[in-house]
Amino acid sequence: MTPTVPELLMGNFLCLMEPPPPESSGDFLQSRIGVTGMISLLCAQEAERGIAARVWENGAIREMLTAAAGAYGHRFADAAKGEDRDLSLAALDAANAALRRSLIDLHIAVEVARDAALDTAIRGLYVKMADARRLDLPPLPAG
Amino acid sequence: MTLQSQLEAYLTRTWKTPARVTMISRIPGGASRETYRYDVEAGGRTRGLILRRDPVGSLIDTERKLEFAAFRSFHGGGLPVPEAVALEEDGAELERPFFIMGRIDGGKAQSPFTLPPYGEHAAAIGQQFYSYLGRIAAADPLTLPIAEATPAPSLDGCWKAALDYWEGVVEADEEHPQPIVRACIRRLRANPPPSARKLSVVHGDYRTGNFLHDGAGKIIALLDWEMAHIGDPLEDLGWAMEPLWCHGETDRVSGMLPKAEAIAIWEASSGLTVDPAAFAWWELFASVKGQAIWISSAKEYRAGGLKDPVLGLSGWYTARRQDVILADRLAALEALA
Repeated sequence: MTPTVPELLMGNFLCLMEPPPPESSGDFLQSRIGVTGMISLLCAQEAERGIAARVWENGAIREMLTAAAGAYGHRFADAAKGEDRDLSLAALDAANAALRRSLIDLHIAVEVARDAALDTAIRGLYVKMADARRLDLPPLPAG
Repeated sequence: MTLQSQLEAYLTRTWKTPARVTMISRIPGGASRETYRYDVEAGGRTRGLILRRDPVGSLIDTERKLEFAAFRSFHGGGLPVPEAVALEEDGAELERPFFIMGRIDGGKAQSPFTLPPYGEHAAAIGQQFYSYLGRIAAADPLTLPIAEATPAPSLDGCWKAALDYWEGVVEADEEHPQPIVRACIRRLRANPPPSARKLSVVHGDYRTGNFLHDGAGKIIALLDWEMAHIGDPLEDLGWAMEPLWCHGETDRVSGMLPKAEAIAIWEASSGLTVDPAAFAWWELFASVKGQAIWISSAKEYRAGGLKDPVLGLSGWYTARRQDVILADRLAALEALA
């Protein structure tokens, strides 16, 4: 998923270090500062959970591809090979991109085959993937 | 030159009288364009105006001519829509394309991140919100200025035009593979909705946060028409009820009203009835459209040098919330037959 935590924190820095033109120094600047604060808060969550979420998702997609390879072709087993030895966010995201592309291809093949059971399983995996990457913003009080 | 002096030069030239701009201030919101409020003194009169200028990078790629035409279509027709004052597609003295519209004072927009958004006035605001949307749906778009700025699809082509457009955005702007939204797009394409009952002006971004209310239960301005087009009126209804705008609530839509009540108000106001099968398609479509916008935001954030935090937050946090909504909607659909 983009953008990455390093990009977001760099963006916060760039946003705050550049002096705004006079017409942007009131409500607009206050709002921007509030948004940078929200990003920082959420980056703390990503720092805590992001690696675990990616390792889990990559493993879950590998399992799905491996299990489907018998019916849908060995290319899916080949795509599932490997493991996440480099646990940096960048390396995990690179592996995740390749795995997600294979998952998209598998899902298309499953739909063409009208394979209801595997389609339901993939849709269930999507729910877990989305939940694992969820970020929780506490509700802000209405002004 | 400052923006203030550029505006003064432009208004003095086009109004053919010396114009003095004061109190110019950029305001948050309206993320697809830079938005400024200001006063202008000219000909012995002071007037409050809004400038909407194209940014270098934007949350949504839109035509300012369309937004301007939408304001022209509904201002003065009984809906609280600001007046369209001037449009300059070549930028003139301001260097980038812009338009100017009338300013409606005394209201505030609610952030989609606040809870509860409307407090004791939620039901009253919901009544107006869905009633106004019904009136937009009821209008004949082919008689309005917006028909000069955008094509009208066929009744049975509305869904395809909308889906083609937003699928194209995903295709063009996706920087990390997005299996969930792609699966939803395929499901929508394989199961098209019934034909539109009528063609309507589709506001395109009719939701919490895109109108002003006076804090006492009255909506005073409907804003942010930058995605306006002609299409199936259910597109707006689905977008208005998108869970992203519901502040985490499950018993009220838009943080305002129970869903059935909101639909009943819209039906009474529009004179149309909501086909549940068609509406289910447009609800899933709304979540797809949302994700397409957030995917674009992420790309623009990078392309713009990481300097706009709204784009960053939209392309990251909001995209992930949208994925949760999309995955839940997809899982709830019937199994493949």
